[in-house]
Amino acid sequence: MIRALLVDDEPLARDELAALLGETGQVEVVGSCGNAAEALPAIRQLRPDVLFLDIQMPAVSGFELLAMIDPEILPRVVFVTAHDGYAVKAFEESAADYLLKPVEKERLARTIARLREGTVGPAPLQLAAPVKRIPCLGHRAIKLVDVAEVEFVRSSEAGVYVVCPAGEFFTELTLKVLEERAGLVRCHKQYLVNIDRVDEISLGDNLLGVVRTKGGQEVPVSRRYLARLKERIGL
Amino acid sequence: MEPRSDLLYILTELARALAIFVVAFYLYCRSPLFRPLKTEWLEPKARLSLYLFFSGIAIIGSHLGVWLPGGAVANTRAVGSTLAGILGGPSLGVLVGLTAGAHRVSLGGYSALAGAVATTLEGLMAGLVHLHFRRRGTPERLLDWKLAFGITFLGEVVHMGIVVLLARPLSEAIHLTQVIGPPMILANSAGAALFMTVVRDRQSVYDQVAAASSAHSLGIAARTLEILAKGFDATSARALAQVILEETAVGAVAVTDTVQVLAFVGQGSDHHGAGPIMSPLSRQAIDGNELVFKDGVKDHFVCPLHSGCPLDSVLVAPLRMEGTVLGTVQLYEPRGKRFRNMNRSLGEGLTALLSNQLLLARYQEQKSLLVVSELKLVQAQVNPHFLFNALNTIVAVLRKDSGRARELLIHLASFFRKNLKRQADLATLGEELEHVSAYLEIEKARFADRITVETEIDGSLLELKLPTFTLQPVVENAFKHGLSHMMKPGVARIRAYRQGAAALIEVEDNAGAYQDPGDQGGLGMRIVDKRIKNLMGTDFGLTISCVPQELTRVTIRVPIPEATA
Repeated sequence: MIRALLVDDEPLARDELAALLGETGQVEVVGSCGNAAEALPAIRQLRPDVLFLDIQMPAVSGFELLAMIDPEILPRVVFVTAHDGYAVKAFEESAADYLLKPVEKERLARTIARLREGTVGPAPLQLAAPVKRIPCLGHRAIKLVDVAEVEFVRSSEAGVYVVCPAGEFFTELTLKVLEERAGLVRCHKQYLVNIDRVDEISLGDNLLGVVRTKGGQEVPVSRRYLARLKERIGL
Repeated sequence: MEPRSDLLYILTELARALAIFVVAFYLYCRSPLFRPLKTEWLEPKARLSLYLFFSGIAIIGSHLGVWLPGGAVANTRAVGSTLAGILGGPSLGVLVGLTAGAHRVSLGGYSALAGAVATTLEGLMAGLVHLHFRRRGTPERLLDWKLAFGITFLGEVVHMGIVVLLARPLSEAIHLTQVIGPPMILANSAGAALFMTVVRDRQSVYDQVAAASSAHSLGIAARTLEILAKGFDATSARALAQVILEETAVGAVAVTDTVQVLAFVGQGSDHHGAGPIMSPLSRQAIDGNELVFKDGVKDHFVCPLHSGCPLDSVLVAPLRMEGTVLGTVQLYEPRGKRFRNMNRSLGEGLTALLSNQLLLARYQEQKSLLVVSELKLVQAQVNPHFLFNALNTIVAVLRKDSGRARELLIHLASFFRKNLKRQADLATLGEELEHVSAYLEIEKARFADRITVETEIDGSLLELKLPTFTLQPVVENAFKHGLSHMMKPGVARIRAYRQGAAALIEVEDNAGAYQDPGDQGGLGMRIVDKRIKNLMGTDFGLTISCVPQELTRVTIRVPIPEATA
């Protein structure tokens, strides 16, 4: 059985796709999510084989979501769209698979056959948009933090936290994704800092530096990353 | 004749010469060759006429002079060369001076040469003054009688000096200047000044005529603008001919297109009327794209239809649009009534004016066509995303509840039918709301519990007229760019209420995601605004306010007509 996760903001669209997939008898729908914030933890926990990903979704589009998934656990991706001339052209060029809504059974059967053969091309990361907003868990709601407002990001046993003037928020995004796709700079094994928010860098005596952010926060800088950080700042 | 030499006698004689000059001046000013200050002035023909006229004046000035003992003549020759210089420049002044001087020399006398030189020099002086004012760009100052008086006065003083210098014996020359100096200086200066006053009187008559004909033209312009705004056809041609007939009081007026007479009003309309063009004059004007004029004096209009036609003179002026002849406007006068020059120039100007008005009318027609075609574009441009998502939703619903799916399909059909069908300019608010509600039913099904729609409509406004397709693009915008991108529950509010003599229709969402689309996007919204302003005035239309992350409110403001107020 192919284990699939559905991501679509329209509940009826998810239901329909789940029903169609169920009818094939070859796919097990392990979960369905209505937005990026739900999808990220689901991917991490459920480790699906394939993601059926809607492109037009509220706040974070399918392409943006793609950019937020840790490449190490990125499943194969089948895009689902109602109409998007430009995107369809891009999929064809990249050999990624895609379905058009309403989904035809025969077309879906072909997709499943390709998934079984393992010939679904890799998700086209060139389509992945740069991450400009980071979906975080706020109080009972999903908060989208602008990357420009981020002071720094820290990772601990409890998870990854985005620190901004409004406070500290838990995010599903990994440090690696934030470093590569959001343009934050590594200054420590467990810290990323926003170069635009750096106020000063001071060197401690034990070869550990400290970055002071414009918001008055202190972020440790390890020796390993100090040179690169200085370079990025232009020192 | 016994020569007399007292001052009063000389002055009286010179004044007599001036009286003859004034008559000559008057006649010359009326001639078509004399148009001071016009651009074509000083073309070879006008120069020749100036030369001949003022040489004549100068020679007559010598002849009508008073012969004094010894062969000297007290004269008004200087009027000719000075005026020629003032009006025509140095070369003309000198030329008249030389001509009159040569004539003077031929008459003989001890002061002949001095007089000839002085006349030429005065022409030159006046010519230099002419150059001065032309170069300063104020040639109208040349027509000032005080200037003419001053220049001639100075010129005659110089004349006397030259007589003293050149005429011999010296004692006689000095005596001569004492006798002829004062009357000649006075008479010549007065003569030149008189000429200018004649010119000025003539000019003011022209101005009055010009003012009257401008007033006429403007009157016609105001009346025809409205007529031609409706296009150029038999109906507007008839109205046009009637207006021209009333305003010009000519015998008859005809308007044609390029193949037939569209309207004929006035004398001769018993046998002239709508029908194919018969007159060769009309064909000549149309085919040659030229003005045809038969003045009824040398050339006559010959009616091709009826031998007893009273019409005798005609002006046929082509109507043009961007260089192409569309038709003609024709002004007729009957036998025995002169075709007035004023009506002739009016007729010429009129066709230029009408051509411009036609161009304007076409421009406005095209402008409104453009709005219509933009609207069609927006209508045709049903968001494919909406269509396929709607179909997908219905497919999904069909699996569980075929009755509900049926309802949704009918809503979708109704939405598309309204999109395709509605082409009238105006719809009622009720109709607009129905269109929107078909759309909302589908969107509500798509987004299920994520979106709620609240409406609050003043029932008395349901018959209010709006341009078709006002509400739907605004509501669609709220979904497409606002509500569909929200993670938290979305609320759309549609309200309609009165505010004084206006009705306000508000479409509000709680996404607060509006961004000014600039020149690129927002075509649908721009057209909504443009159409309301076009149909209802610039006080009305669309306003958008946005509190980021909280709400976007689009307010449509339209007038409430008296009847429903």
